[in-house]
Amino acid sequence: MKKLLAGAMLALAAALPAGDALAQAAPRNTLVVLREIDADNYDPIRSTARGAGEVVYMMSDTLVSLDWDMRTVRPGLAERWEISPDGKTYTFHLRRDVTFCDGRPMTAQDVAYSIMRWVDPANRSPVRWRAGPVREVRAIDDHTVEYELTEPFGELLYQLTLFFASIVDRSTVERLGQNFGSQGFNGTGPYCWVSWTPRQEMVLQRHPNYTWGPPIYQNRSPQVDRVIWRVIPEANTRLAALQTGQGDVTQYIPNIAIQQLRNVPTIRMTRQENYFWDYFMGFKVDKPVVSDPAVRRAINLAVNRAAIVQAVWFGNASPATAYLNPNTAGYSEEAARLVPQFDPAAARRVLDEAGWRVGPDGVRVKDGQRASFLLYGLQTTESRQFTEAIQADLRRVGIEMRIQLWDATVGWGRLATQEFDAFVMSYPYISATDGFALYFDSRNRPTPNRMNWSDPRTDAALNTAKTALDAATRQAAIAEAQRIIAENNVWLPIARENLWLAASQRTEGVRAHGIYGVGLYKGLDIRLTR
Amino acid sequence: MLRYLIQRLLLAIPVMLGVLLIGFLLMQVVPTDPATVRAGPSATAEVVAEIRRDLGLDQPLTTQFGLYLWRLAQGDLGVSIINNVPVVQELGATIGPTLELMLSSLVWSIPLGILLGTLGAYYRGSLIDRGVMAISVAGVSVPVFFLGLILIWFVGFKWQWLPFTGRGGPLWTLEGLQSIALPAITLGGVFVGPVARMTRTAVLDVLSADHVRTARAKGLSERLVVLRHALRNAMVPVVTLIGLQIGFLLGGAVVTETVFTWPGVGRLAVGAITSSDFPMAQGTIIVLSLGFIIVNLIVDMLYAALDPRMRAA
Repeated sequence: MKKLLAGAMLALAAALPAGDALAQAAPRNTLVVLREIDADNYDPIRSTARGAGEVVYMMSDTLVSLDWDMRTVRPGLAERWEISPDGKTYTFHLRRDVTFCDGRPMTAQDVAYSIMRWVDPANRSPVRWRAGPVREVRAIDDHTVEYELTEPFGELLYQLTLFFASIVDRSTVERLGQNFGSQGFNGTGPYCWVSWTPRQEMVLQRHPNYTWGPPIYQNRSPQVDRVIWRVIPEANTRLAALQTGQGDVTQYIPNIAIQQLRNVPTIRMTRQENYFWDYFMGFKVDKPVVSDPAVRRAINLAVNRAAIVQAVWFGNASPATAYLNPNTAGYSEEAARLVPQFDPAAARRVLDEAGWRVGPDGVRVKDGQRASFLLYGLQTTESRQFTEAIQADLRRVGIEMRIQLWDATVGWGRLATQEFDAFVMSYPYISATDGFALYFDSRNRPTPNRMNWSDPRTDAALNTAKTALDAATRQAAIAEAQRIIAENNVWLPIARENLWLAASQRTEGVRAHGIYGVGLYKGLDIRLTR
Repeated sequence: MLRYLIQRLLLAIPVMLGVLLIGFLLMQVVPTDPATVRAGPSATAEVVAEIRRDLGLDQPLTTQFGLYLWRLAQGDLGVSIINNVPVVQELGATIGPTLELMLSSLVWSIPLGILLGTLGAYYRGSLIDRGVMAISVAGVSVPVFFLGLILIWFVGFKWQWLPFTGRGGPLWTLEGLQSIALPAITLGGVFVGPVARMTRTAVLDVLSADHVRTARAKGLSERLVVLRHALRNAMVPVVTLIGLQIGFLLGGAVVTETVFTWPGVGRLAVGAITSSDFPMAQGTIIVLSLGFIIVNLIVDMLYAALDPRMRAA
């Protein structure tokens, strides 16, 4: 009923032109960004939420930035850098004109402090591994930083584009202690912290001296005086607010509404092609039934990804025909070809050949073991729909999948156990090595390697992909890892989400970026016409 | 009267303790783990264990509850495990908007409900009566979120008369009044029906009572008969119902606050529960239960005021 109502409302919403706003309109030269959920806090090293990244990218900068193609690393706070021949030392040459929001000039000491704070185990950063095997980060002079590793880490520059690596002001961190990022912030970003009312809104003010934005923008300075990040959890309210001018831009758009919004003349929609946020099903390879490679291969053959994408995402996602987005750095075309494509007849054949015979209830049996497995996942509209579609597809080839979806508050805990045989989730990644090293390294069992995949060849390939000095060797190694995983069907890749941004009529210069799922990134080209 | 009041107040203490215990246990029964939520999906088991230790979640249940009560006795509701803000501070900031919303809903819906119910009873069987009954049936059956969405759709979106996202300012400003209008109509809207129905039944009952016949026989005007003799006596069950309904109104406020992005305790509760913020969720449970207890206390006192037999008892 609720869904029907939502659909009807959205259809009507799209059909009607928005009149002049008598109701509370967004204030002049204040950009109101609407979102679904707030972050837990805004300390770059402590929060892994996309919601934190959205704001932290605006309040602070990283040494290097990422281009729209999601693979070219561009200057950020560092205008250039060199890598030592042994690949263990990165020397960053910093810009000299950078200041924090409080006006103090940023120096190499701030960079060294921020990175060392990130990797310090005492600070409990859940993502400290992303900084690489750091030996020490030190200031050589006021504008030169040496980033020394214990072994080469080819992913370092990509990782340093993520908001976890944001440069922050030491004195503010020390003054606020545990409250840094919840009661105040001091960064070098285009916007400065004004106030935060958790679960309601975050207010940012333009950083007046800011001229050092990433070169991917036409403007290196912010064009808007204030930015308000407003939380509107209810999707219908959020979209109605956007269309009545109570908000200017949002990336939180229900799939059902995307096509309709594209037909609304007063809404500008932009899309990022290079968006790396994928849905997949992982198999616990040491559990009955799914431990059989033939079963995993048959599942990959039996599922009609194209139909699922059409039905669940209304065409606003792409079928994941490979483990990674083809535009990802390190993507292997050859490995992608190894991923089985939809062919239910072939699925049946594979199962027959492996000795799985159809039983009296239509479910296959082998050595007294029914082809039945338990799936865990988080309860979302999409996951409920696509798991049911997969369940139907599998049933047709004689495999029974039992679905158990959990509320997000419970789910992550459940997904850390060994109670289930397979699971579904979605995740952002920045490169092939980033995604694969996280999920398929045997040292990362039981989480995030929830498949319990433990293979020395994969580990070796991932290690080479991370540590080899030569780019071609790294590429060959990550391709090898992709090949092994694809051959063994450790996952069922399902769909690749698209990133859309919807902007109001008065908002120009909106372009979807999508780093770590963040739509606006720095938003430097955004301006308001009235 | 004073003894009655003290008795009621004393009774509220064990109720509150029960609420605290149940609130605490409920959060334990839910198989959620704030540490994994906080650590995020890509965290390793080691990191999750570190966070769990930091939050004190590795301590035995009894220790956790004892510590909780001890701090509570000192007026310390703890600190949000999500954003480190003291729970008292967040509750303080959200109670105002929730009270504002509830009062603005009641201030129009109770008089309207009583008026409609009285009219229905007085013109029993007529078209007016049927109209009143239709309105109250609709009021009883329409869910809060549905009414909210319909109002957003027509008043907020299509006609663009009123804002529907958040609180524009204090009630005495134009922005404040504009922004509270739709949430207050939504929340009060579902209140009118039950009040009208109960009033109608009670007034009907009283209108056929002996004392009303006597009043009429004395030659009093119909207005006086209805207002002074019928309505006042009919108020006892209506006040009971209002007291009970305000409890449901607290639940409705959670939904209304979510639909209209109203910065109240209800939204805070939803946010705290969905982010596994134990101390904050417990804080909101305390506030909402306390609200319920206070309302009941007020209703008990109103009884005493309306019905002299209660005072004697």
